[in-house]
Amino acid sequence: MRAEQLKGHLDTLLLAALEDGPRHGYAVMEALRRATGGRLDLPTGTIYPALRRLETAGLIKGSWSVVGGRQRRDYRLTAAGARALSGKRADWRDFAAMMSAALERRPCPDPA
Amino acid sequence: MPGPCLIRDYLGELSAQLPAGIVAELASGLDETCGHYLGQGLDPDAATRAAIAEFGDPQVVVEAFTRTSPARQAARRLLATGPVAGLCWGAALVGGRAWTWSVPVTARVLFGAALITVAGLLAAAAVGRRYRAVSRAGTAGCVGIAALDAAMLAAVTFAAPVVAWPLILAAGASAARISFTAWALRPVLVS
Repeated sequence: MRAEQLKGHLDTLLLAALEDGPRHGYAVMEALRRATGGRLDLPTGTIYPALRRLETAGLIKGSWSVVGGRQRRDYRLTAAGARALSGKRADWRDFAAMMSAALERRPCPDPA
Repeated sequence: MPGPCLIRDYLGELSAQLPAGIVAELASGLDETCGHYLGQGLDPDAATRAAIAEFGDPQVVVEAFTRTSPARQAARRLLATGPVAGLCWGAALVGGRAWTWSVPVTARVLFGAALITVAGLLAAAAVGRRYRAVSRAGTAGCVGIAALDAAMLAAVTFAAPVVAWPLILAAGASAARISFTAWALRPVLVS
């Protein structure tokens, strides 16, 4: 899957990748690859601006640390980020249910 | 070309266009990516090439940072809300017969020229493709718009004979814009 197809959803994926605990940029990309069975195909370098944007929005917080003699910047979800992820996840479930109902002629579940 | 040279060239291209803090993070990420490929058994040169290929073309990375630059976001918001503030001031100045106020013609001309310059700077930040140019234009545009708002507030305080509600509304819009600009400039100055 290419970046243009992800438009609007990359932020949600990044927040989800940080849900289990702090990660640095490359680990976030690895987590997304694992979670999507390798189907997510983004230049790793483009993950970093998205992480910075989420940090500016107060949804994640970055901090420098030294691990094994290497400097790296880890990101963790903030309380606002956790709330945003929860809301985006609910929105996605509604959207996916609606699209499945329309495209695959499945009954649309009642909204919660 | 050996791996370290490739990395140096790649980071050099990024350093020419991005702030040091961002490049340091990208260097660390590139290091992690190299480590990943070395762990998979690739030799150092192949690992470096694979890491650079995975990171993406430097120009693509720079453009991704430019698109999400805080300066660009601030400039776009100020341009989007500019017409509202302009309408408020237009109504207030026409209603208050501003042409009768004791403001020197030179000051009026300078204000107009500054307004056009600031709008140009914000437009450059909103559509520019070079990170540093976008940051500089956005920062200057934000500071400029706050200064113009402050000048308008000072002008109505000292020159307006009567303070009517359209003037209060316009002054409120300017005060809100000064607050927004101060808030928006924080990440611009940090980045």
